[in-house]
Amino acid sequence: MIRKLVQTALRATTHEVHLAENGAKGLALIERVRPDVVFSDVAMPEMDGFAMADALRAMPELAHIPIVFMTASVQREQIDECFRHGAAGHLAKPFTMSELRVRVAQFAKS
Amino acid sequence: MSRQGRKMRKLPRSLRFYVAASTFYAAMVFLAVQYIYTVQLAESGLIVARHDTGDLLASIQLVSFVVWLGISLIAAAIMHRLATALAGARSAEEQKEQELGSIFGLSAALAGPLELEEIGQHFLAAVRNALDPSVTAVLIAYDDVLEAFRTVGAEGPQANRLRGQTYSTAGLATAIRTRVIDHRRPFLVPDTAADAETWTKLAQEMPQVAGARSFAALPLVSRDRLVGALLVISDRAGALVADRVQMPMIMGQYVAGSIHSALSVSDAESRAEREALVNRVAQQARASLDPDEILRGTVDALGRVLGVSRAIVSSGVSEDDLNVSYEWDAPGVEPVGRGARSIPVAQFAARLGRTVVVNDIRQDRRFAEGTKDDLKQRGVVAVAATPIRVGGQLKGALALSQIDRPREWSANDVRLIEAVAHELRVAMTSAEAFEQQRRAVAELERLNRAKSDFVSIVSHEFRTPLTGIQGFSEMMSSEDLTLDEMKEYAGDINKDAQRLNRMINEMLDLDKMESGRMQLHEEAVDLNAIATESADRIRPNAPAHPVTLRLDPALGTIMGDRDKLTQVLANLLNNAVKYSPKGGEIVVSTRVEGAAAHLVVRDHGMGIPKEALDSIFERYGRVESRATRNIRGTGLGLPIVRQIVQLHGGVVWAESTVGEGSVFHVTLPLAARSSAVAEAAS
Repeated sequence: MIRKLVQTALRATTHEVHLAENGAKGLALIERVRPDVVFSDVAMPEMDGFAMADALRAMPELAHIPIVFMTASVQREQIDECFRHGAAGHLAKPFTMSELRVRVAQFAKS
Repeated sequence: MSRQGRKMRKLPRSLRFYVAASTFYAAMVFLAVQYIYTVQLAESGLIVARHDTGDLLASIQLVSFVVWLGISLIAAAIMHRLATALAGARSAEEQKEQELGSIFGLSAALAGPLELEEIGQHFLAAVRNALDPSVTAVLIAYDDVLEAFRTVGAEGPQANRLRGQTYSTAGLATAIRTRVIDHRRPFLVPDTAADAETWTKLAQEMPQVAGARSFAALPLVSRDRLVGALLVISDRAGALVADRVQMPMIMGQYVAGSIHSALSVSDAESRAEREALVNRVAQQARASLDPDEILRGTVDALGRVLGVSRAIVSSGVSEDDLNVSYEWDAPGVEPVGRGARSIPVAQFAARLGRTVVVNDIRQDRRFAEGTKDDLKQRGVVAVAATPIRVGGQLKGALALSQIDRPREWSANDVRLIEAVAHELRVAMTSAEAFEQQRRAVAELERLNRAKSDFVSIVSHEFRTPLTGIQGFSEMMSSEDLTLDEMKEYAGDINKDAQRLNRMINEMLDLDKMESGRMQLHEEAVDLNAIATESADRIRPNAPAHPVTLRLDPALGTIMGDRDKLTQVLANLLNNAVKYSPKGGEIVVSTRVEGAAAHLVVRDHGMGIPKEALDSIFERYGRVESRATRNIRGTGLGLPIVRQIVQLHGGVVWAESTVGEGSVFHVTLPLAARSSAVAEAAS
């Protein structure tokens, strides 16, 4: 649902949107398309967002790609954990579409 | 006295013999001299020459013989008189010496600290020695604690009947009470037959002494305090008269002091010991709030001080549910063990609400033979038990038992036991209150933690559908959309709203079920059909999880709420899918097990750690681990399953091997066969 929302929200922009349903698939997708920015849930089946971020940081050619975590928690600890895993930003659910677009604009190059 | 009488007659007899012998000797000497004198006179020719001279000589001889005889008799009489006087004086002195000797002997024997029983032995022996060995002498001493006269010792032919007796002040005969106890004067009945009126009354009041023919009761007073009395019984009328009892009276004065100090010492000692123990108990009770620790410190000490074999504290609110909660055993005594045990005396004490003492259970008719069996088996012979009550409410009982031998529980013992029980009561109350408070605080903390966990879980779970609702509605209002797009987003919003609704309903349902407000709409339900439907519903959402059904066609029906049972299956299947992120077969099977339907849902997922197998059925009892962190859920699925199953009179449990999968079992009672048949017929 969130994937569909993000895709729909960015449809009007010039950005290209690629979707993956979990961390492992996300990692493969990132390797393939080399995006400007990654938006990721934390809670995902098989490989969660933090594990994916850690894996990304371990790859020299991909380590620079910024990740924005979308979390349901607004608790300080979990937000801190996002940044410990190298997050470039954080979006707390429920977020507005304008918030999402601001974040995309902040990191996207084109 | 008779022995001394015989002695007095012996001496004059020997004296008389001496006097007679000396008189005879004197006579013989006189005759011999006379003879020699006569012969010499004859040789000199004096007698031959003069016939008249012979007559003269014969008369001289006769006169001198009579004079000699007279003098001898007078001397004998004087010597006899003298000897008699001498013997009398010597015997009186000797008797006095002996009497004094026995008093000195007694006082010497009583010098130094002695036990009351030892004093009694010496005293009674001396009394019987002074009077007559055929009398029975009894020493009774006033016991402050018992508030009664206790028999310290009894010696003599009738001693056996009198030993061990205790006389309350009212239990003593009126005559003795008034004369001996109140007025501290000796009471004598020299001949019980002669004074029949007094004696009949006394014998009725004190049957223990009824057989006496002569009776004396003498007060023992020391430092203005009546410490006891000496009772003397003789089976010879007239044996006990005022003169004869002088000696025992004098001895009594000596002994009373010793009895007094022995009583004071034993009083003081036992009081000090008791006070020390009770103080210790009170201190311990105040110092500790751990009931076990208090019991360890107090009951153990009590057991040791009393020298019993075992001390047991049982707890319970009625005599029938007394459970052994603490036990102390003397070295070498086999423990009874905690928990429900047969403790008839403690139960009896709990029922009566007061202390019960059993000196010898084998002789005690208050307990039916059947109830004694356990005690006998444990070798228990004597028991003292007292209830522990708090505010009129029974809390337990304290019982002390003696193994393999009877025991006379003294009033001292009883007081001590009651004092300790009283302190335990205080201790147990405060410990209980503290424990309750501690539990309440812990429960509050747990609830508080659970609540905040719940808030964070729920807010987390609620935020995701809310994001969808907010996002899609925002786009619908701010962007130019086609009708189809509008419809699609509205559908998405609807789905998220439904999801929220479902989550809220789950919470409310669980609350309802937990508080007993849930009504079941019961009907005959085919569990196999529900399993099939639920499997069909989950399949599209779980492509990686093949769902296999192994249903027993002969399962029959159960009486239950179709919707709720469907929820059970849905939750179990959802969990099976959710917690097998890598996929794997899910097997749903049913079978008949006695009068129950047994449903099993097996997955090949991550499994559940052993220690969590029970807690997963608790509210918010989800296993929190790295593996489950990413699995969504309110933590209410399994609690709901358990509530529904329990409402149906069934049981749910889980088995699991971490890494291999989990198995959830549900048993539900089958509908009675007749109704199943009726169902089939209709």
